Amino acid sequence: MKGLIQGLGVTLKAMTTKKVTYAYPDVPIEMPDRFRGVQHFEPDKCIVCNQCARICPTECITLVGKPNPDPEKKGKVIDTYDINFELCILCDLCTEVCPTEAIVMTNNFELAVYSRDELFKDREWLEENNTNVREDNNNIGAPQRGGAK
Amino acid sequence: MSDWVEQPLSWGNVLIYAVLSVVFLLLILGYVTYAILFERKVLGWMQFRHGPNRLGPWGLFQTVADVLKLLVKEDTIPHKADRALFILAPALCYAPSFAALAIIPYTRELYFADLNVAVVYYAALSSISTIAIVLGGWASNNKYSLLGGMRSAAQMISYEVPLILSIVGTVMMTGSMSLRQIAEAQGNWFWEWNFLPQIIGFGVFIVAAVSELNRSPFDLPEAESELVAGYHTEYSGFRFAFFMLAEYVYMFAIAGLASVLFLGGWHPPAPFLGFIPGIVWMLLKMAFVIFFMFWLRATMPRVRIDQLMGFAWKVLVPLAILNVFVTAVCLELFIKG
Amino acid sequence: MIRTEELLLNVGPQHPSTHGVLRIVVKLDGEVITEATPVIGYLHRGTEKLAESLNYTQIIPYTDRMDYVSAMTNNYVLVHAVEKMMGIEVPERAEFLRLIVMELQRVASHLVWWGTYLLDLGALSPFLFAFKEREMIIDLFNELCGARLTYNYMRVGGVKWDAPPGWIDKVRDFIPHMEKQLKEYERLVSGNEIFLARVRGIGKYDAETAIAYGLSGANLRCTGVKWDLRKNEPYSLYDRFEFDVPVGTNGDCYDRYMIRFEEMRQSLRILKQAVEQFPSSGETMGKVPRAIRPPAGETYVRIESPRGEIGCHIVSKGKAEPYRLKFRRPSFMNLQILPKLLVGETMTNLIAILGGVDIVLGEVDC
Repeated sequence: MKGLIQGLGVTLKAMTTKKVTYAYPDVPIEMPDRFRGVQHFEPDKCIVCNQCARICPTECITLVGKPNPDPEKKGKVIDTYDINFELCILCDLCTEVCPTEAIVMTNNFELAVYSRDELFKDREWLEENNTNVREDNNNIGAPQRGGAK
Repeated sequence: MSDWVEQPLSWGNVLIYAVLSVVFLLLILGYVTYAILFERKVLGWMQFRHGPNRLGPWGLFQTVADVLKLLVKEDTIPHKADRALFILAPALCYAPSFAALAIIPYTRELYFADLNVAVVYYAALSSISTIAIVLGGWASNNKYSLLGGMRSAAQMISYEVPLILSIVGTVMMTGSMSLRQIAEAQGNWFWEWNFLPQIIGFGVFIVAAVSELNRSPFDLPEAESELVAGYHTEYSGFRFAFFMLAEYVYMFAIAGLASVLFLGGWHPPAPFLGFIPGIVWMLLKMAFVIFFMFWLRATMPRVRIDQLMGFAWKVLVPLAILNVFVTAVCLELFIKG
Repeated sequence: MIRTEELLLNVGPQHPSTHGVLRIVVKLDGEVITEATPVIGYLHRGTEKLAESLNYTQIIPYTDRMDYVSAMTNNYVLVHAVEKMMGIEVPERAEFLRLIVMELQRVASHLVWWGTYLLDLGALSPFLFAFKEREMIIDLFNELCGARLTYNYMRVGGVKWDAPPGWIDKVRDFIPHMEKQLKEYERLVSGNEIFLARVRGIGKYDAETAIAYGLSGANLRCTGVKWDLRKNEPYSLYDRFEFDVPVGTNGDCYDRYMIRFEEMRQSLRILKQAVEQFPSSGETMGKVPRAIRPPAGETYVRIESPRGEIGCHIVSKGKAEPYRLKFRRPSFMNLQILPKLLVGETMTNLIAILGGVDIVLGEVDC
């Protein structure tokens, strides 16, 4: 009997405490800075080293580079860069290995779409996804300058 | 109201009674709508969340939306089911519940019927709903539904015995089975209400009532008997709504009975609060009993079926009989002798 | 003439209880179970096969998704196995972070178990109570590594992220709050007579059976065998901390319940000591070669996850990918006893027993 009454007391007390639910989606959720949301891509920083495509565990990044249009500069620039969000698990390894922080995560997580075709995001979309960009990127796995594997 | 009810029967009176009943039915439907909402709200508050609050301000249209959803669902009847009984069962479950509301007195003057066998009338009507449940289980042509229906019928029958036995104590104290007289006989201070002298009876009544209503912690039929389905599996849409409606109307009836029999009916807890009309006290007490049932649902895990039956027959019935015996002895020694 | 027929009932794979896609084919004689066969594989995703074509850093996100309720311990078992093969030393601050995170994960996992167990038994509120606290732990992890469930936090040789400023203080503040809440949970459930009647004396087995079936974790300790890998084969920094290992006596569901509840308390005790001893500065990654290529050979490591003993067996041929990677998953092993335990029980007791074994289907199917 005593256990039952104690249990009733706990729920009654719970009724008067502050509620812990969020009013999402009326109120947006504040995510901490390190939150791994959808990626943001800056084509100017990309040196087409292919590390992100190689490290991706699900092979969702496909990229194509082209020689630099400026004849004096060496190296490649990025031509197309696609991430297939049916496969991307937002694991953050691509940002970890990028030496120039060309690809970074944002804090946006809302990816719901009405058709699967829209999940194949291309370079323009990733470039425009520049709100809530993460500041702390900690790319500890990035190859050092001039010392590729 | 009591004047209208006391008059002899004539065609004009029948019309008035019909109109009053329809008004009452609408009031009861409004009550059910908001009782369902409040159950979900109270459950939510006890679980650190808000409960439904998106449909309508503060969630007030939630049940309306649910009922609309149930109404527009497809009305399926299983292929080999017994059509007549299948259609009859929900209605048969609901009709006695509404009829049982006739005997509850809300104040000294506001009541529908003052039967001098009101207690027995209630017991008889609630048993008809038990038949309806077995009927629903049988007519579904589904062996799991049949098992679930038999099991829930067994539960309801075994808990009716202590329910009625626990009321016998109050009947003995008042000397009449009429609910109005039982409520009248309780005094104006809260310690003069029946729940203190009849504390064992009150405890047995509450436990048996929660089980009669198939509510937590005795909600095996609703929990689909843990994977073996309950009697209302094959019912969808509006027929299912009827079973749920019957449950909530019974909750109203039990709350009314508990308030009248044990909590003093329309009497205030102290005479100096008598300026507040009796109907307010009656509704407050009923609301408290209903809140208590929501509170139990939020807290307790479910009881197992064998423990359930054992509890009814081995604990509640002996306690209720003991209550009757002690009441009789006390009445003989202290009141009359 | 009346005769009874044996009923073949399919429990699942869509479960009213919240364990995942488990299917139990049950032969019923009236109410009593005569034979029960778990059927698994509905969540098989081929982690071990996929691992044969990925290098070790790429496998770490996959380990998160095995036992998704306690992902940090899965990360650790893989990373520890590779470090053992390569002889990499992990700096102290990284090891402290790993330990703190694993113990927090243990509390979070046991909270999920507690909430869902009581939900199966019919009590609606403890589930919400448990998830309120778990949300606080998940928020801590969100601040630390950026994800709420699949952390991808540990790396071979250390951890990816250092604790952000103020994080350790948040952990320190969380501990007394959680202890107070555990007392509330006890008052809500552990004394409840209905709950005790549902759970006492159900699903008993003795120590020989437990060892023969290879059970581990709370399922083993409920029979009286005092075996916890954190004490018997200490890994990480567990030998520096004082904590007790709760052991049961009867081998029934109630003992398993009490053991897991007590384990939450002991985890909080470890956390308190770890937060006190946390080094104020240090590296988060040790000396790891650019390409992680363990030498040819094999190794097996095992640690104590909230569900039991999780082990990782790696066969390496000197390449960046493992030749064969096998996880010894505790839920998979613990499930083996279910056919034996369920014979002679009723359907309602099936739910109580299944909840008490504490399986996660991601781990059973891998």
